[in-house]
Amino acid sequence: MSTLGLIARDLRVAVDNKEILKGIDLTVEPGRVHALMGPNGSGKSTLAFTLAGHPGYTVLSGSASLDGEELLELPPDKRAKAGLFLSFQYPAAIPGVSVANFLRTARMAVRPEDLNPAKFRKLVFEKLDTLDMDPAFLGRYVNDGFSGGEKKRLEMLQLAILAPKYAVLDETDSGLDIDALQSVGNSVNALRNSDEGKDIGFLVITHYPRILKHVPADVVHIMIDGRIVKSGGPELADEIERDGYDAVRDEVAAARA
Amino acid sequence: MPSGTTAAVSGLAFTPTAAALEAAIAFVSEHDERGGAVDAALRREALARYDALPAPGGRPSRGWKYDYANLPFDDLRWTSGRVEMPALPARPTARPATAGDVDLDRPALATENAGGLYFLGATHVDAPSNVDAKVTLLALDGQTVRDFEASLDGVLHEIVDWRADKLAALTTAFQNCGAYVHVPDNVQLDDPIQLIFASAPDDEAVFPHVVVVLGKNARATVIERHLGAGDPFVCGIVEVQAGAGAELDYAIVQQAGEAARVMFSRNARCEHDAQVRWHLAELGGALTRTVLGVRLDAPGGRAETSALFFNTGAQHVDLLSGVDHTVGPTTSDTVVRSAATDRGQGRYVGNIVIRPKAHGSDASLRDDALLLSKRAHIDSIPALEIAANDVKAFHGATVGSLDEDALFYAGSRGIARGEALRLITLGFFEPVIARFPGESLRDEIRTALDRKLDDATELDV
Repeated sequence: MSTLGLIARDLRVAVDNKEILKGIDLTVEPGRVHALMGPNGSGKSTLAFTLAGHPGYTVLSGSASLDGEELLELPPDKRAKAGLFLSFQYPAAIPGVSVANFLRTARMAVRPEDLNPAKFRKLVFEKLDTLDMDPAFLGRYVNDGFSGGEKKRLEMLQLAILAPKYAVLDETDSGLDIDALQSVGNSVNALRNSDEGKDIGFLVITHYPRILKHVPADVVHIMIDGRIVKSGGPELADEIERDGYDAVRDEVAAARA
Repeated sequence: MPSGTTAAVSGLAFTPTAAALEAAIAFVSEHDERGGAVDAALRREALARYDALPAPGGRPSRGWKYDYANLPFDDLRWTSGRVEMPALPARPTARPATAGDVDLDRPALATENAGGLYFLGATHVDAPSNVDAKVTLLALDGQTVRDFEASLDGVLHEIVDWRADKLAALTTAFQNCGAYVHVPDNVQLDDPIQLIFASAPDDEAVFPHVVVVLGKNARATVIERHLGAGDPFVCGIVEVQAGAGAELDYAIVQQAGEAARVMFSRNARCEHDAQVRWHLAELGGALTRTVLGVRLDAPGGRAETSALFFNTGAQHVDLLSGVDHTVGPTTSDTVVRSAATDRGQGRYVGNIVIRPKAHGSDASLRDDALLLSKRAHIDSIPALEIAANDVKAFHGATVGSLDEDALFYAGSRGIARGEALRLITLGFFEPVIARFPGESLRDEIRTALDRKLDDATELDV
């Protein structure tokens, strides 16, 4: 049996003693894009934070693994070193720490052996260019005073520079205007078309289907009330766009009745 | 007595008593042909003030160990004098040999372009200096005070109010070293002037008195350093006079030995359009107490105060800043960042006074404290006193612990918690570090803070 993939099995998670995830089964294969869609409060971000190891989330049962390596016992940095990347919906600011310093520290942490400073610099400037980002970004403090769009661009810059095995993009499209969304899409696609990025498995968490126009999904899952209630192909996203989540909710209720 | 000889550290046993003061006065008249910077009558008056004045401050918190009224002075030696530095070896570079090349087994002395004065304990180490010839840079002793009477008038003993400050009164009574810096009108220096106080192997009582006078439109940077492995008691005064349009950056990097006690009262006076910028990195010592003041006495004057301290182990830091806007329009900007871990204790008192004639003034005071362990404690006491109309005044203060969201965010990028904590803590100090003059000085402070993080034992809260 192959264990390749970012895999959740019967994952149940509570926050403040309230069960939010009620048994999630999900496999994101290398090189594939899975979309996780659902209304607000359905538990999408809880899944993202649980996979990344946020201390505020209590795993009640189940497992999560990355290419066979159990994640749930690892602290957040070890999960990143194993190859997981989370793009935050609301990235934290780190005042006083420059983007350049942070990127270098992070890259050194996940890939200690590679890239001399000159090559690292070249890589950073290439990725900045792909994202239409001003190099002056590098001298600013991490997310400190950044606009919503700038924060998301920095998340995509980190994704490109860290080139993980699996990336969870949590509401990366929220708060973005059309141009910003386009450049985020371009950046993800450029990464997927590159040698180091072609095998990255993506879990794209979103409320609205519009990001999927830029980053087409291979598989779409619908999450409602802490459960994945329906999975299918890209056409499922179109269905949501047309009929909304209520239709799926009704359908599920009808099936249970 | 020929110059270049004197008294070694042996000196006298120090206590803050009349008998010890008489012995010190006799010692100076016997051993120092240039004489003391403070005459005997003033020393006696100052000791009487020291006895009469109350000890500063109370104990701010439960973990605070020190009582200024009963500081122990056991086993301290008091001396005064100078030694001549042996001839410097030729350097293979084009740069002239400087005092900065002197190796006293203390790497920080080997700073490039280090024109300045050096003290080993209270002993002035007489070494050549490459400071601009237009600048007067001398040990503050009796001869200097006599030679520069006119420019010291109204400055020496006048800018720091020692009659109202117990520790400054003690310095005035027992003053045994110091520096006089005079930058004439319109002279603008590129390289910093350094005043280096290195501790001697024996535990000394060191009472420095530094006077800096900037003429009209003069511009200078002074770096005062405290370093060395000894454990002295240093209690000093710094008086700054900035003439019209002058600009002074005065940076203090205090890295004294771990049992050292370092106390300073520093005050500056700004004339028309003059700017004084204090920069303080309080890093070493067991107990430090610093007063940083600026008096804005003429329109257009500006005071910037940037200070940081980071208490590890059982360090105590007491920091007081004050800006006195006596007339308007004048501006001030005070930024303080402090952190403590282990059993570190700190107190910051920030005063802004805007007097009735200071309309049109603008004052800002911002201080933030970071607690990195459960036993660490920092008190923050900002106070604004505003007696003029039509002024802008801002103050803000926070005391908090590390941002868990930032730690998790860094963790999600592969940065281990310990390293993230270091990164975030160093970043916390950055707004103050960024205001220090010169990238090499800023890097030096970053490195010193990084080392302190290495030494801290209780980092995770």
